[in-house]
Parts: sequence; structure tokens; C-alpha cells
Amino acid sequence: MPDTEIIEQLKQGNENAFRRLVENYQKLVVNTCYGMVRNREDAEDIAQDVFVEVYRNVDSFRADAKLSTWLYRIAVNRSLNHIRDNKKHKWFQSVESEVEAKNRQLLQLESSKVDQPEYDLENKQRAIILHGAINSLPENQKVAFTLSKYEELSYQEISEVMEMSVSSVESLLFRAKKNLQKKLHKCYKKKCM
Amino acid sequence: MNCQVVQKKLIFFLEKELSGAEMKAVHEHLDICPNCVLFAQEMKATLSILDTDKNPEITPFFYTRVKAKLENQVEAENQVAHRPVLVRVLQPVAFSIILLFGIYGGIRLGNTSSSKSVNVVAEQELIPYWNDLDAEPIEIFLLD
Repeated sequence: MPDTEIIEQLKQGNENAFRRLVENYQKLVVNTCYGMVRNREDAEDIAQDVFVEVYRNVDSFRADAKLSTWLYRIAVNRSLNHIRDNKKHKWFQSVESEVEAKNRQLLQLESSKVDQPEYDLENKQRAIILHGAINSLPENQKVAFTLSKYEELSYQEISEVMEMSVSSVESLLFRAKKNLQKKLHKCYKKKCM
Repeated sequence: MNCQVVQKKLIFFLEKELSGAEMKAVHEHLDICPNCVLFAQEMKATLSILDTDKNPEITPFFYTRVKAKLENQVEAENQVAHRPVLVRVLQPVAFSIILLFGIYGGIRLGNTSSSKSVNVVAEQELIPYWNDLDAEPIEIFLLD
């Protein structure tokens, strides 16, 4: 069933169309959210909210736009909101030690890759460093980088999702990579990788 | 190209985003610099994490959970929307009346207690001092 038909039927309240939409796009949405928040449970929770929002606001969807672009946009916005809320929550919470947070991250990685013995301790350490470096990027750079690396979107597609020009996306990605390299180099010098 | 320049361009080299001449220059430097090679290997290994990170497995019954969430939201909204009008209107009115009564009662109570204390003082002022000795001196009492 093509996207236009799914949307048309969804506008008429067809539940099967909604099921089809979720099944077709759940991987895309969960993957995008996971790229942003880097927590599986949170990513699935946000993805569910994305589909609920799509169902409720399907009437506002313009027929000339691409469904995937709309989904990416909602997923990115919802993920950013989640990250902002988490930051506020952490600010109000009693100070959690950095070691504890890192251990939690390590545990999460272990549980997600438990069936891959080759995913050794070194790689876990690398993953923590890389995620930390990506998380420290400014919001726009992080979004562009995630869409480029996790979803392998082209500059044109990223520009449509982020509603900016292709040259701005290019510049964002250039700065994101430069910042990442700087952070990784700093870490390499400190012998933490 | 020296180490500093190479290390600044390494991520773009690994992503093959440098021009042909720059790619060649970095290659040539890496052939003779073991330190930069080490960093390049580390960088490559770290960036490759992104590939293994992609496509997390989605837990089953995802659609069922989306549907349940949607239904819960609709139900919660319906509960708010279908509350009887009387309850929606009367509840705030009742609370407002109770609040106003409380304030009024407080004011009244304050006024009553202050006017009572004035009366007590007035009563005390009106009672004349009665001296028994003036009325019946002790000598007359003893003689009687």
C-alpha cells in the first residue's frame, strides 16, 4: 500500500492503515530516536508518542510532503524535548556522580550486546567515549550528524527534515565532525581510548 | 603535511571527504608516522561503533503498545470532557464560596475579639473603688 493511500485511509480513521503505517515505519522512527537519546527503552517510548501524534494530527499532513520527512521531523523534535526534559530533571535531582552514570551506561551497553562476545570491553569503552562526544555536540549538529550516520540520509533529505538549506546542512556536518575529532583527539591524548 | 595538520583532517580522511591531493598527502604522512597511524586506527575503530549501533532490535508488540497508548490518551481526554457540567462549574464555585466564608469568618472573629477587649477595659473603668476602712473605721468596729 503506497504512503498516499495509507494517509488517505488514516484520515478516514481506518485502523488497518494505522497498523500498516506503524509496521512500515517503526524501525525508521525507533532508530532515529535511538540515535538521539541512546537509550533503547526511551527511544521506543518516544517512537510510540510519535505514532500517536501522527494518528491525531494526520489531517494537518500536506499531501505534497514526504511521509518519512514528516516522521523524521516529529521524531527529532520529540527526542530533543526528551533530552531537554531530562537535563532539567537532572538539574533538579541530587547530584549523581559521573562514575555512577558511566557505570549505568556500561551496563546498558552490556545488556544490549550480550549476545555478541566480540563486543569486548575495549569497544564498550569506545562506545561510551563516542556517545559522550556526540552528546556534547550542539543540538543542530547532533541532529544533522545522527540523521546522516544513523539513517544515512543525504544532505538534501536532512535539509528537508531540518527545514534549512543544503549548504547549512553541509556546514553543520562539517562542524560536527570537526568537533567530534577534537574531542576524540583530546581523549586520545589523555590515553582514555 | 605535519602531524598536527593530519590529525585535524583525519576524520575527513577516514570518511573520504578530502580532495584527491589532500588524501594523497595524508596517506603519505601515515606511511611514515607511526603515531598518526595509531591515532587513525583508534579513530576508525571508534567511528565504526556507529555501524554496530544502528538498527536496534525493536521489542515485539510495538503496534499493540502504540494502540494502547493512544486508547489511554483518548480515554483520559474523554473522562475530562464528559465530566458533568454541574461538577465542572459547581466545584470551583463551591471552593470559592468556602474560601470567601473563611476570609469573612476570620475578619469577623478578629473584630469580635478586639471589641470584647475594649468592653473589658470599659467595665474595669466603671467599677468604683470600694474602701471598707473608709466606710467603717476599725475603732467603731471594735467598739461594736
